[in-house]
Amino acid sequence: MKDIKELVLETIPSAVVEEKQKLTVTVESRDLHPLVATLKADPAFRFDLLMQLIGVDWGEKLGVVYLLSSSADISKEIVLITATDDRKNPLLYSVTDLYETAHLNEREVFAMFGIRFINNPDMRRFILNSDWTGFPLRKDYNADPVLNPVNLVSKEMTDIAPSIYETPQGEIKEKLTDIFEKDDYVINIGPQHPSTHGVMHFRTALDGENVKKIDVHSGYIHRGIEKLSEELTYSQILHFTDRLDYLAANINRHALCMCVEKAAEIEVPERAQYIRTIMDELTRIESHLVAWAAMCNDIGSTTAFIYGFREREVILDIFEKVCGGRLIMNHNVIGGVMFDIYPEFQKDVEAFIVQMRKALIEYHRFFSGNVIALGRMKGIGMMSKKDAISWAVTGPAGRGSGWSCDLRKYVPYALYDKVEFNEVIRTECDSFARYMNRLDEIEESCRIIEQLLPNIPEGAFATKTKPIIKLPEGQFFQRVEAARGEFGVFIESHGDKFPYRIKFRSPSMALVSIMPHICRGEKIADLIAIGGSMDYVIPCIDR
Amino acid sequence: MLLEISHPLELIKLTASLDSFLHGLLPSWAALLIEFILVGVVLLAMYAVIALILIYAERKITAFFQCRYGPNRVGKYGLIQSVADMVKILLKEIIHVDSVDKFLFYLAPFFVICASMLTFAALPFGNGLHAVDFNVGVFYLIAVSSLSIIGVLLAGWSSNNKYSMIGAMRSGAQFISYELSAGLSLLTVAVLAGSLQLSTIVADQSYVYHWNLFRGHLPAVIAFIIYLIAGHAETNRGPFDLPEAESELTAGYHTEYSGLQFGFYYLAEYLNMFIIAGIGTTMFLGGWNAIQVEGWDGFNQVMNFIPSYAWFFAKTGVLIFLSLWVRWTFPRLRIDQLLNLEWKYLLPINLVNLVIMAIIVVFGLYIK
Amino acid sequence: MTVSEYFSGLFTGIKSLLIGMSVTWKELFTKKITQQYPENRGTLVISDRWRGNLTMPHDENNEHACTACSICQMNCPNGTIVVKSKTIETEDGKKKKILDTYTYDLGTCTFCNLCVITCPSNAIRFDNSFENALFTRSKLLERLNHEGSKLREKKAAPKAAENIPG
Repeated sequence: MKDIKELVLETIPSAVVEEKQKLTVTVESRDLHPLVATLKADPAFRFDLLMQLIGVDWGEKLGVVYLLSSSADISKEIVLITATDDRKNPLLYSVTDLYETAHLNEREVFAMFGIRFINNPDMRRFILNSDWTGFPLRKDYNADPVLNPVNLVSKEMTDIAPSIYETPQGEIKEKLTDIFEKDDYVINIGPQHPSTHGVMHFRTALDGENVKKIDVHSGYIHRGIEKLSEELTYSQILHFTDRLDYLAANINRHALCMCVEKAAEIEVPERAQYIRTIMDELTRIESHLVAWAAMCNDIGSTTAFIYGFREREVILDIFEKVCGGRLIMNHNVIGGVMFDIYPEFQKDVEAFIVQMRKALIEYHRFFSGNVIALGRMKGIGMMSKKDAISWAVTGPAGRGSGWSCDLRKYVPYALYDKVEFNEVIRTECDSFARYMNRLDEIEESCRIIEQLLPNIPEGAFATKTKPIIKLPEGQFFQRVEAARGEFGVFIESHGDKFPYRIKFRSPSMALVSIMPHICRGEKIADLIAIGGSMDYVIPCIDR
Repeated sequence: MLLEISHPLELIKLTASLDSFLHGLLPSWAALLIEFILVGVVLLAMYAVIALILIYAERKITAFFQCRYGPNRVGKYGLIQSVADMVKILLKEIIHVDSVDKFLFYLAPFFVICASMLTFAALPFGNGLHAVDFNVGVFYLIAVSSLSIIGVLLAGWSSNNKYSMIGAMRSGAQFISYELSAGLSLLTVAVLAGSLQLSTIVADQSYVYHWNLFRGHLPAVIAFIIYLIAGHAETNRGPFDLPEAESELTAGYHTEYSGLQFGFYYLAEYLNMFIIAGIGTTMFLGGWNAIQVEGWDGFNQVMNFIPSYAWFFAKTGVLIFLSLWVRWTFPRLRIDQLLNLEWKYLLPINLVNLVIMAIIVVFGLYIK
Repeated sequence: MTVSEYFSGLFTGIKSLLIGMSVTWKELFTKKITQQYPENRGTLVISDRWRGNLTMPHDENNEHACTACSICQMNCPNGTIVVKSKTIETEDGKKKKILDTYTYDLGTCTFCNLCVITCPSNAIRFDNSFENALFTRSKLLERLNHEGSKLREKKAAPKAAENIPG
């Protein structure tokens, strides 16, 4: 078998290959696309998964960091870096023809850094308005509110996508494309709508009851967390992570803590690891309960919604006792956890697991077997394994398409290598598979908790850290299995107490980006049901 | 004489004496005029009161299904919650939307409310409490109750809103389909009863085993179930609430309505539920007849002590509870599931059922 | 679709609906879970780790433990805390920095607890309040040190804030 380095150098002789936290390859912008294509096609490595696409402003250069992985073994990783000197009109080559997930990510990089991607068919800004002045994540961004005043007048949506492409002769040309046809019946599902799970905006062209095309708009609650983080210390940034995917707050925070701990080489005590893992799994159960409840509600069963929230309330009460927060838990800190568990914690959690198992039986009796519900879920929203990989849809949704992508199995962190649990995989690829995956994962989480609960060791629950944590120079990645899929943290540190660039990989963004594809041709009622089965949380996208 | 004592709370004597009193006092036309007005006022008042009670009952029962308490802040156990809601809806501003088709937009709610009002005229609420006793009562009920769809379609069309439009179109498809089933299942009973006159139908169901539900064996039971499903679908309530499917259409055909106009739709929805249950009671469950078992004289006396209108409302209440139970258990159907259910299941079963019923009647196999 | 499929589909469908209805029927009589707030105010148990409102505990002599070191202010990610100090001259002629006003803006606080964790003298803590609604935004701006309060002398060890266990 060829070495990966050899393959890279064989393809692009001028590439710079470095062994950092991950294997990092730096190439010229023109060489990126051929290299990626080779890596993707190579039968030995098959880097067919674009996990992260991160824009970075290195001062004189603007560039993009790609984290590639393989769908067969998602622990395989390679980092590609490319950049351009031109700050006025930065152009890079798009990888949208290789990875569908690149579409929205490249649009986000364009909005934040002004880098346009050649051959991306749709170069509208994602997250920001089309008339936004400046590129917020650039280091020389002018944040004067005069430049971008709060708009009090309603603006028409233009629905025209500019794009930039390269002709076979090598010329670079621009063109405009209409998103919708002239007489399309376009309705707005969102941003204010009863079932968009946040402020998502789907411009939906309908053909009678059928969905013809969906155009995704987001950014209605964008808070600029990544920009804010660049001026905060690592322990200060932590509190933002709870506000990304607020239904799985603890797991996001765990990811950032681990990233910093690994980079700064901070040891986490055993007890803290136990607490973190148990709390993560409780968070997962809580998140899946909301997903179940909200999906049932989307399909029209309001009663199920209340039942789901009834069980969730018990977890929230446990959270409140452990860390004083119910939704925004604020529990993990760098080096451990902020609060130790309380004395009756084990008893409470055990009682909850008993209740949860009973409730699961009730859920199945109430909803999973219901003939109407089955008709609304089975064979609806088909997402093939190939699509799931191309759009990088991980989590219960990806595993519903027969793709084994559980990071807890492939890259075990915390205590996941010490517990026994099954990775829940279904191959039906439809809404029902995703739905059932969540309920089964609740059971698996219960099993994990049961194994850990009696064995929590005595000891410290946090390592004492320096008041100001400085990370060594470098790029650091951390990936965790959040409730909705893979949550990723990327930190580029220049040795300061602040990160130079921090990026959160949102699992929900992948879930939303595949919606137009899997909803095409489905009924409008099923658009909502499929949305429920994907279970995206918008603040995670609108960082 | 025995019968006289056994119906102490009936209103028939009161209405009869009022009638003879008015006729003795005034010329016949004036007496009739006054009676018309009185009946109209009473029906209107009943209309409002029934709606308020139903809204309260639904909210409470829903809450209990969902492990909640329901309204419990306004009055003891939240008893006057729906009165407060009514006051609120009366006081609310009617928002005038510029781009609607004004005439049709304002007309639409009246269609809906009038249609459900009209059915009240023919419903026998109790012994003698029957405004008009048509000889084609069943036919009349089916005819006027389907008028409300015009209101819904007009609302969706005139609102100039895409959600409303989709809602109204769905409603049209749904109503036309399910009207068939409802009509056919009522026809099945009409075959059994041999009459379209509601008073005759009720009078024929004196003992429990004479109720049309039991008298016609299985076909009558099937007709009853189909009637309940189709009737439930006609009221546009979950799981058949596609025209206002909250998940995708926000509020469907009445998205643009506010204040009292919205109140009309709201009221009509509950009244339609009552009317469907009321027709079901009359046609299948012996109408206002008390539960009477042949031979159990003592029992029959006790049952007769409860007035006929109470029986009517009690039986209707049971059917309404059934409808609520269904509504708060099932998820919403998709439009194709909805039409499948009607055209592939209900309608063929219904047609076969009708033929079987006709055979039963022709050969006199029903319970006499 | 064969005839047998048609009917088996019909009956399994009906059966599944009836099972669903039996679940809701059972729930009709279960204990209701709604909390009767505000009637249950007296019996409501709020975890003592709950972060409601930042407070600066004062003892009976109107003394607090804040040395105006501003570490909390530096650690706050949102600029919620503003510590104003003033310099006074003590009796023995030394210059000393003491706390003038300690302002806390509840409106921008994200309850991340960093201020309490990092405080070297355990001078501040979060209380258990949760009914924080006010009529105007300006009332969200609170001054935590009482009028005329002063720094507690070192001799009495500062009380450990209860919301940091261990």
